[in-house]
Amino acid sequence: MSSNECIRWQGNLACLRIDGVMVKSRHTIEGAHVFGPDSDHTTLAISGLSLLSDECTIQSVCIDGNIEASVLLACGYSIDEKAEWSISCGEDACVSISRGAIQKGRVDGFEIDEEFHSKISEAWLTELSAVSQGAYVSEQAYLSSSSARMNLTSQKMGDLLIWPPREMVGSERPEEGSALRGSGIIESWTKLSAGGAPSEFSLRAPILEGISTVFVRLIDGPCGVFLIADDEDNLPQIGGDVNFAIRRLYAQDGMIRYGLKALIS
Amino acid sequence: MVDVAVVGAGQTKYGNHPLGLKGMWAEAAEAAYASIDGDFEPSQVDEAFIGSVAFGGAQLGNTAALLTEHSGLDNIPVQRVENACASSGFAFRDAWMAIKSGQADIVVAGGIEKMNDLSPERKRFWLGVSGDTEWERLAGLTFPGTYALMARRHFHEFGSNHDDLVHISVKNHMHGLDNEYAHLRKDVSFEKAKSGFMVADPLTLYDCCPTSDGASCVILAADHVAKKLSEDPIWVLGSGAGSDHLALHDRPSITQIRSTQMASAKAYSQAGISAADIDLAEVHDCFTIAELMATEDLGFAERGQGGVFARNGIGRLNEGDVTINPSGGLKSKGHPLGATGTGQVVEVFKQLRGEVEQSRQVRDAGIALTHNVGGSGATCAVNIFGRDIK
Repeated sequence: MSSNECIRWQGNLACLRIDGVMVKSRHTIEGAHVFGPDSDHTTLAISGLSLLSDECTIQSVCIDGNIEASVLLACGYSIDEKAEWSISCGEDACVSISRGAIQKGRVDGFEIDEEFHSKISEAWLTELSAVSQGAYVSEQAYLSSSSARMNLTSQKMGDLLIWPPREMVGSERPEEGSALRGSGIIESWTKLSAGGAPSEFSLRAPILEGISTVFVRLIDGPCGVFLIADDEDNLPQIGGDVNFAIRRLYAQDGMIRYGLKALIS
Repeated sequence: MVDVAVVGAGQTKYGNHPLGLKGMWAEAAEAAYASIDGDFEPSQVDEAFIGSVAFGGAQLGNTAALLTEHSGLDNIPVQRVENACASSGFAFRDAWMAIKSGQADIVVAGGIEKMNDLSPERKRFWLGVSGDTEWERLAGLTFPGTYALMARRHFHEFGSNHDDLVHISVKNHMHGLDNEYAHLRKDVSFEKAKSGFMVADPLTLYDCCPTSDGASCVILAADHVAKKLSEDPIWVLGSGAGSDHLALHDRPSITQIRSTQMASAKAYSQAGISAADIDLAEVHDCFTIAELMATEDLGFAERGQGGVFARNGIGRLNEGDVTINPSGGLKSKGHPLGATGTGQVVEVFKQLRGEVEQSRQVRDAGIALTHNVGGSGATCAVNIFGRDIK
């Protein structure tokens, strides 16, 4: 593990240290790190774990109360109070993932418009108390597919990889497969106006000036549709590369729903 | 086997209707009964199939029982048919099969939707209920988004472009201008349609159909009854249906609708004709790209040539071999989800009998097709009609 190297990683700022990693939101207001429009301590923690996975194998972690355990479980990490690795949340938009002391330090971010940040934060709070009046993904349905949704866990039938998972019968019933590689090629894309977005996004879409979605062929073969994250600077293009990061999708019935979003390479 | 004819057809005006479900249905049924040439009483009807998404949940269960009791159809087997926007296309097919099977002589097929009495927020929740909820919706997609993905991919693969979609929008608004039942009776210029505000890039407002209130009702009869009820029955020459994966990501291609290909192949085969024999087609243009792809999937244009077909105005009224959407289509006539399929049948019934406004009458119309798609193509019903029994 290298030391004191800070990089831009999945839209965040990550500083690799001897004993772990510190991940901060890249967004700041007057120098203080604040969460981006779809990030929180959980998304920063997952981002840090994925960076560390290139360096070492982590199977279990100890977490504090600000981390959503179901997301870690869906990504293949078990939760253990006595685990070697601990995830600690800072008071600002920062997490430390360490097997020693809590990782701290200063790293410069990018100023975000305070009014924009305030509106998005309020929208999330309002959204959390929202109740569906029509189409609906229940908590059970969301959790049962969370491993496929967040870890790209696939199914296998002979040489064929299947994702998202399917229910089949008889000889067509697929076996459980491994996690697909998290990159792909854009086959199509759209940007939806606030009026064209589903109700789950109707509070945030006007603030974000629309939401963008890509139809992606993953490099392992299957296709999927994903919201785009951090697309302020890059327009998607057919044939362009994407990889993925876990972010907040929407909130309903008091629960944040997480999933993979596409990052334009 | 028995032949089946349409002997009566009627509908409400589409748009913002002042009446509720019961009143709209009664109005459509009354219009259908009145269009029957011979002596007819609702008590002669053996069965009824009514398509509806039950938008907003106002009468989600037992919709058909509620409606039929308000149209003189008492104490007969009735059922609601739900296949998203193709609900009444399939209701029509169920009615046709009930007669074909010999179980019924006179059957009602209809459809209804009340969409514009909901709050905007509740409406948005319901507009996506027929798409793939677990994956597509959570990726921000309802139908404007899914059709936008199809459009951009079609542009990429075949060199079609947004101007081709604008041509479709302008044509359908032109066709609907004189249709007394149409929701949006507006003359829309190419420049105006091209500059509409973006809904789902590349689709603008003028690429999207409106949400409408409306009801439609069709009376089908077995041949031995049809000839007594009508001096000019319209014969059902073929009825096909198909389905496909609900979610786009499971389909081998997003630039064609396999359910349309499957449904039309069956219908053409039953009718013993090909696309070249069709004089007019009511095509499911929920979005302009849907009509562009349908012209290919139904065989009016070669694969990948839907843009050229639209650009050259081949579907315009009486200008090419086939007129596409003489009613104005969903774009202008409107789209009350469950009512659309049998609403298309109302249009071709009148076109084939020469009963629409003369300004939009298809000349020498002998054979017509209706094409009704559920959602982004998960279901499709295609029906073919003729003035003459085959």
